[in-house]
Amino acid sequence: MKKLLTGNSAISLGVMLCRAEVISAYPITPQTTIVEELSEIVADGRLKARFIRVESEHSALACVAAASAAGARVFTATSSHGLAYMHEMLHWTSGTRLPVVMVNANRAIGSPWNIWCDHSDSLSQRDTGWIQLYCQSAQEALDTVIQAFKIAEEVLLPVMVLEDGFFLSHTSDVVDVPEQKAVDSFLPPFKPRFKLSPEEPHTFNIMADPSMFINFKHDAQQAMNQAKKVIGRVDREFKTHFGRGYGYTGNVRLTDADVVLLTMGTAASTALEVVDAFRKQGKKVGLCRLRMFRPFPSEEVGRVLGKAKKVAVLDRDNSLGAGGIVAQELKAALYGAVQKPRIFEFIAGLGGRDITPQDIGEIFNYTKSHSSPNGAPIWMGIKK
Amino acid sequence: MKKKPVKKKTALKKPAVRSKKPVQPKTSLPPMSLSFDGTLATKTGTWRYLTPAYLNKLAPCNEGCPAGEDVEAAMVLSGQEDYIGAWEKITQENPLPRVCGRVCFHPCEAACNRKEYDEPTAINSLERFVGDFAFQAGKRFSPPAEKKNEKVAVVGSGPAGLSCAYHLASLGYGVTLFEALPRLGGMLRYGIPAYRLPKDVLDQEIDQILALGVEPRTNCRVGKDVKWEQLKKYDAVFVAAGAWRSLPLRVPGEESAGVMSGVTFLKKVNSGEPVDLGERVAIIGGGNTAMDAARSALRLGAKPLLIYRRTKEEMPAWEEEISEAEEEKIDFIFLTSPVNILSENGKVKEIECIRNLLGPPGKDGRREPRPIENSNFALPVDSVISAIGEAPDLSFLPPEFQKSKDTLPVDEAGATSLERVFAGGDVVAQPRTVSYAIGSGKKAAMAIDATLRGRNAAEAIRLARWGEKGSLSMARYRSGGGDGIAREVVRFTELNTAYFPRQARKPGEKLSSKERTKGFSEINRGLPPAAALFEAKRCFNCGVCNLCDNCFFFCPDLAISARPDRQGYEINYDYCKGCCICVEECPRGAISVEVKK
Amino acid sequence: MNGIEPQAKELLDEYLHSGHGACPGCAMPVVLRTVFHALGGKTIAAITAGCFGTISGTYPASPIKIPAYNTPFPSAGAAGSGIRAALDAKGDTETTVVAVAGDGGTFDIGIQAISGAAERNDDYIFICYDNEAYMNTGIQRSSATPWGAWTTTTPPSELKAQPKKDIVQIMAAHHAPYVATASVAYPDDFVRKIRKAKETRGFKFIYTFSPCPVGWRFPSEMSIRLARLAVQTKIFPLYEVEDGERYTLSVEPEGIPVSEYLRPQGRFNFLREGDRERIQENVDREWERLMRRMNA
Repeated sequence: MKKLLTGNSAISLGVMLCRAEVISAYPITPQTTIVEELSEIVADGRLKARFIRVESEHSALACVAAASAAGARVFTATSSHGLAYMHEMLHWTSGTRLPVVMVNANRAIGSPWNIWCDHSDSLSQRDTGWIQLYCQSAQEALDTVIQAFKIAEEVLLPVMVLEDGFFLSHTSDVVDVPEQKAVDSFLPPFKPRFKLSPEEPHTFNIMADPSMFINFKHDAQQAMNQAKKVIGRVDREFKTHFGRGYGYTGNVRLTDADVVLLTMGTAASTALEVVDAFRKQGKKVGLCRLRMFRPFPSEEVGRVLGKAKKVAVLDRDNSLGAGGIVAQELKAALYGAVQKPRIFEFIAGLGGRDITPQDIGEIFNYTKSHSSPNGAPIWMGIKK
Repeated sequence: MKKKPVKKKTALKKPAVRSKKPVQPKTSLPPMSLSFDGTLATKTGTWRYLTPAYLNKLAPCNEGCPAGEDVEAAMVLSGQEDYIGAWEKITQENPLPRVCGRVCFHPCEAACNRKEYDEPTAINSLERFVGDFAFQAGKRFSPPAEKKNEKVAVVGSGPAGLSCAYHLASLGYGVTLFEALPRLGGMLRYGIPAYRLPKDVLDQEIDQILALGVEPRTNCRVGKDVKWEQLKKYDAVFVAAGAWRSLPLRVPGEESAGVMSGVTFLKKVNSGEPVDLGERVAIIGGGNTAMDAARSALRLGAKPLLIYRRTKEEMPAWEEEISEAEEEKIDFIFLTSPVNILSENGKVKEIECIRNLLGPPGKDGRREPRPIENSNFALPVDSVISAIGEAPDLSFLPPEFQKSKDTLPVDEAGATSLERVFAGGDVVAQPRTVSYAIGSGKKAAMAIDATLRGRNAAEAIRLARWGEKGSLSMARYRSGGGDGIAREVVRFTELNTAYFPRQARKPGEKLSSKERTKGFSEINRGLPPAAALFEAKRCFNCGVCNLCDNCFFFCPDLAISARPDRQGYEINYDYCKGCCICVEECPRGAISVEVKK
Repeated sequence: MNGIEPQAKELLDEYLHSGHGACPGCAMPVVLRTVFHALGGKTIAAITAGCFGTISGTYPASPIKIPAYNTPFPSAGAAGSGIRAALDAKGDTETTVVAVAGDGGTFDIGIQAISGAAERNDDYIFICYDNEAYMNTGIQRSSATPWGAWTTTTPPSELKAQPKKDIVQIMAAHHAPYVATASVAYPDDFVRKIRKAKETRGFKFIYTFSPCPVGWRFPSEMSIRLARLAVQTKIFPLYEVEDGERYTLSVEPEGIPVSEYLRPQGRFNFLREGDRERIQENVDREWERLMRRMNA
């Protein structure tokens, strides 16, 4: 059924449709309305779940991780500082191979204080062993939440679903909300092999000494490798079921592009308009929206971008001392490729600064007119 | 320009859209770090350097009982209300619990660890209770498992002789019990008055022993009615003739009519013979005989006056005897010795005494009384009873006996210089008490059995010892010393008294002071059943596990669990780290530390 | 013995294995034995870093026989809430959830999560075993370390200068349905309280005293004795608080001088002239305060 929904509302409905059993979250702008709507959904019985109003994000993830270990399907949501606060729990959850699904509304991390859209929060957690899927629309966010549970429960790795804070969380769009029956047939109940149960007692997370630890981590890496295939397969199954699929990347007009823009999140929507406009002017530009960031789709980007002449990476984040994170990951992914584009790095939109069509046009033009990047990433819109 | 080689485009395989098979990574590990085993493979016992063990140590009451009773086992069983079981434990060692429970000086209570905490357990009263209980319940001694061919002569039917006869009969031997006096019992009958030991109780106890097949021959004095040589036909002889020869006062007038020894007096009283003491009777002496004589005299209607050469503190009589005598308002005169007994018209008229002061200690360690010159004074009395001590009369023994001046010398096994002749009781040099006599009768039975069975008597007896005070256990003797009880005695400091509430002793019931002196009725009525159980439960059960579960419960390593027979606990040394919490928390010191070698 | 007496106990209702790595004489396994024995096998435990977390096993072996879940240090309180929520969502009303932490995971790094769980009145039992320092990491001081004690971070030149945090008051202030102190030296009282907690709905906090031979510097066999002395000297009173306001004393202490408790412990060897008297005064004052609450 089609509804006009904000990203947060769409996500809340998605969680409800997935029949999450234990939800625990701590409010933080701009995720707050997820917490509010889900507490209402649970309170008025639309979802039979337990909603724990924890006192911090660290407790939120600790709570749902323990609930997941006890065999419940769980959900949490956070943003920015909250995500940072639960940092050790992020490692713990993926190390325990728990299929937790978490939505993170991308927001800048202070200092200085800033509540607006920025990808630094989730990208700086890229080593914690979570699958990361970046959404561009409210529809995609809802759909990805459904896919996330299926992926997570199959590969036993937690999934982080990302939405741009405010741009996606608080803006409304038309969303086709699937029927409960359809979701039920797509997503069966969660039946873990190992869980906390008096019938089959285990002690979870006992120490693994130097002889064993690396084996567990290797197995987790194998799982993450498998996850790539599973994510693709689940997306295709979703498309068959619901008519919508997203892939690892959203590719627009790549075939003969002189410059391909690579970015994540809602900036891609803006870029799409610019691509259309530029193409009408005969400028050969293309857009590759990166959806799956973890595991990094090295083969896929190698395939779709390897032959491009130039790629402009638009990072809505910065790793101090190293540059945009997506750019670094892309460079690492393409390092071994026989054919590599020249990569131009741009940093824009930090702290919610709007990424305008003009910005994107400048990026295209600059990239087109320069034969090679001048080394350092280019920061857009720095006021002099 | 060279053509660049064209790379063949390989078609990408499209995975089947409808594939729903979950993909599992190939691994033998679970996805997350889970436990599958317990930690029993880690033998933390290797950490240990102190090893706790259930050494079932000896309780001090066992060590302190001259009759060698397993006092503790009797207390433990009584605490479980198993009085029959307690009786069986006692009578395995001592056939006369109803006697001892009335007359013993209870060194067990002096040794009792509970004494250091509040008051000793009323072991003596409990022995009486158990004995009376079992008798009323119809319990009698069981006949021996097998009969042996040998026959033994026992000379004297006092506690030593009765004990020896009992043990030998229980071991299967034939026993003939020779007694010079008309009835059996020795000092038990003819020395101890009925108000302490009723005659019917004594008869019942003796009858039980006789029922084992012991042949009594009363009115039969060895050396007169039967010659010593006739005893040689027995396979062994036990001499327990006692000490009946009164020591003389060595004062003029001692031979007068109206002057008799304490032993003679008591013999008459306890035989039911009339004795005329007149109005006032002086009793010379400070021991139990003197007390018995004075209190018996009181009950015959005379007014006794007890004259003792030292002070009350030095009196050798039992404290209870002295305090009861005081309650009966018997007059005591201390630091006084008789010097002359004056008669008139063939009747004693007065006794002249002299005052003493205490000088320095003599060779027995006790302060010597020294008469004060010119302190003489006279007391009017109608009779005098002299009870300053007894000695054995060894004249009936043939000259080949090596006899010392007072007592019959014996070795550590109770053997005399003559082969297969043993001696015990008051006739040898040992404390003159019923319990010591019973103990020595048992020792002789062990020595005789060992000798007749071709074993080394001294060695067999050594293995039967309870502790270091000479107490012997027949149970140990029979098992060859392998009863699993360690030989060290548990001291108070090894106990953990946190588990015991402070509880005062329950007093036994006694006749009122007025009633007591009217006749010879038994003064002590014993403990009522509820009090008896209370007292039995006061026993700490020193050194012996009674399944209180402390060690089981407090072991941090769950290394203590039930023994297969569930009658005790055992330590799993694979895991015991030697923390010794069990040793500390055992209320009764049943667990001790061994240093790991 | 003749068999009339009840028979010696087997390790039937026990939920820990031998072979765990606790120090010899550690009271914590005795605390846990008591708790698990009282609760039975239909129990799930959340455990966290600390001495218990450390002995909870190395792959693939664990000494714990009930299902247990290790969670990072600050989150024992939250993990208990999560497990309870999962069981509730599944309709399981029989399985008991306990969270176990030491003084570090209760008083200090863990206090936020516990406070949250208590305030929400989440239905599980929180057990704190207090060995009065961060023992697992090597005897560093915590807010549960008593005044005047030596630890590796309160050396003799700067002994612990603050009094012990009153965690029972803090938990009672949350109006938790049931808060109680318990001691391994009083096992019947301990078991009773655990069972009472199991039957109570809502958040329960059981605060237990866990003497540590290594950290307090006393011979290993004295653990239970010191736990008893702590109660008898009024340093660790045994009482219950229901709904934050009804106080009940469980054991009337003898009132032994605190010096009896301090003397065997090497960690108190650095007290100066007058310190023991000050400790006695503080203990007496705290006792009076407790009595006032009890009689209010």
